[in-house]
Amino acid sequence: MTEKIIAFFDKMQRVDRRVIYLIVALSIIIPLVIPFNSPTYTEEPTENIYKKIDSFAGQSNKAVLLSFFHDASTMPELFPMEVSVLRHCFERNIKVFTICFTPAAAPLVDYAINTAKENYDVKSGVDYLNFGYKPGALFLPIVLGMGEDISEAVDTDSEGRKIKNLEIMKDIKNYDDMNLVIDFSGSGSALSWVTYARAKFGANVAAGITAVMVADNYPYLQTGQLLGMFRGLKGAAEYEKLVDVFASYESDEYPNGRPFSKEVIKSIEVPITESNITYIDKDTGVVTDTGIPSNYKYKVARIGMNAQSVAHIMIIVFIILGNIGFFVTRKKNDGL
Amino acid sequence: MKRQIPLIIVITLGFLFVLHSFSPHVVSQNFFDWFQDWMKALSPFAVILGIMSLFMVHGQKISYKAPNWQYSVVTLGGLIFTAMAGFVWGTDAGTPYMWLFKNVQMPMSATMFALLAFYIASAAYKAFRARSPEATVLLLAAIIVMLGQVPLGTMISKWIPITSDWILNVPNLASKRAIMIGVGLGMTATSLKILLGIERTYLGGGD
Repeated sequence: MTEKIIAFFDKMQRVDRRVIYLIVALSIIIPLVIPFNSPTYTEEPTENIYKKIDSFAGQSNKAVLLSFFHDASTMPELFPMEVSVLRHCFERNIKVFTICFTPAAAPLVDYAINTAKENYDVKSGVDYLNFGYKPGALFLPIVLGMGEDISEAVDTDSEGRKIKNLEIMKDIKNYDDMNLVIDFSGSGSALSWVTYARAKFGANVAAGITAVMVADNYPYLQTGQLLGMFRGLKGAAEYEKLVDVFASYESDEYPNGRPFSKEVIKSIEVPITESNITYIDKDTGVVTDTGIPSNYKYKVARIGMNAQSVAHIMIIVFIILGNIGFFVTRKKNDGL
Repeated sequence: MKRQIPLIIVITLGFLFVLHSFSPHVVSQNFFDWFQDWMKALSPFAVILGIMSLFMVHGQKISYKAPNWQYSVVTLGGLIFTAMAGFVWGTDAGTPYMWLFKNVQMPMSATMFALLAFYIASAAYKAFRARSPEATVLLLAAIIVMLGQVPLGTMISKWIPITSDWILNVPNLASKRAIMIGVGLGMTATSLKILLGIERTYLGGGD
């Protein structure tokens, strides 16, 4: 029996890596094709961004700037964050601006706006505005210039219109008004906003980062230089839930979304397999079907988290199996 | 002169920018604005230079039928076709440019990035071994952080995400800050060497 076990692990140690690739592929594909409900636990770095944006609701002299600093390679993680933030802004009547400094990000900005706005009656130049692509060489003058006068620093939007004349710019002059910048990237580009926009003009800066870069950006989160952080796909899934539970909530008491509450978010789960947005109260078991269609594009991060959960478990299983095999074969070799 | 003139430009502008960083004087601000205008004018030339360089490198490969020259045809073809699609039909939603972006560039880029998951899984199985106490600590930290990133971790125990956050906030930050301080000091030292003309390797091979 012992010999059989040793032989099994010996064989496992030499397993073809293509078998591992196949198992990983299946563990990712199956949860994506067949979604299942798993809980989403929101955490402070994501909640802080939500609360800050929500505090701008309905105020004409407050706005959010989204900086797209990535290309299509990091889209699976960053795109759901961008769509969720835009959706939050559209839900709560918050002015939102977008900008990008890499040419590869320009179509992503359009794609994110078009995806998010489909279900809302919002207009460019009134409710949102895309500053468009600005060459990377102009990053510093634009970031610093927006501290004085946004319409001077940016000048024209993605459609070539003078932004000074647009309705959305009424009551918006500099970082005192456009008080939150969220940088979406697969790198440490949020640091540039911290260095120039925050240090010099006091703008609030948050970051949406791919999971592999999260550890690199933690120092700025701990010091408070970053107001909040979307930590990979997990952060995107958390924000999707926050928007579902608060911003898009409608009732007689709260016709345009309800205020953030730690107790509410802890006790409510929003299953992703339902065709309508449905709330399940974990304490009382009460199920509330809102009748509002649960759109796939607004739950894509939570579906992705299912795949990520299974993939993480698979990797942990691989590590454990690999180590058992390592010790078993080492013991065998020591015994020889 | 091939080395002296670039050296003089670098040293002069370098010191001017150091002064600008510490001086809010109007002359300093005007100098910075003047520089920004030059930057705006220079940027398009960098794009032209990049495209010319790409055509020269891949054009040579194609004309000499160098190994894998077929890929160069695809590169240049992709560049010309995508650029033309943008110039002719624009870049709005529904145009061929956006179709190419959504259906070619997006899936290809995402696929390349996604390969990481397969390499990590394979490396975790083949090489992540508890060979020493240090490796064991690393292994345990990796498992806790990975579990902390998914709902299952919280479902197993509320301590898993708390421990995961502690790992990221304490040992990770301590080492990150140490690295950042080291990099900062290194950058300052290298900048000073460049400003003082001691470090000249960026000028390329000597005469």
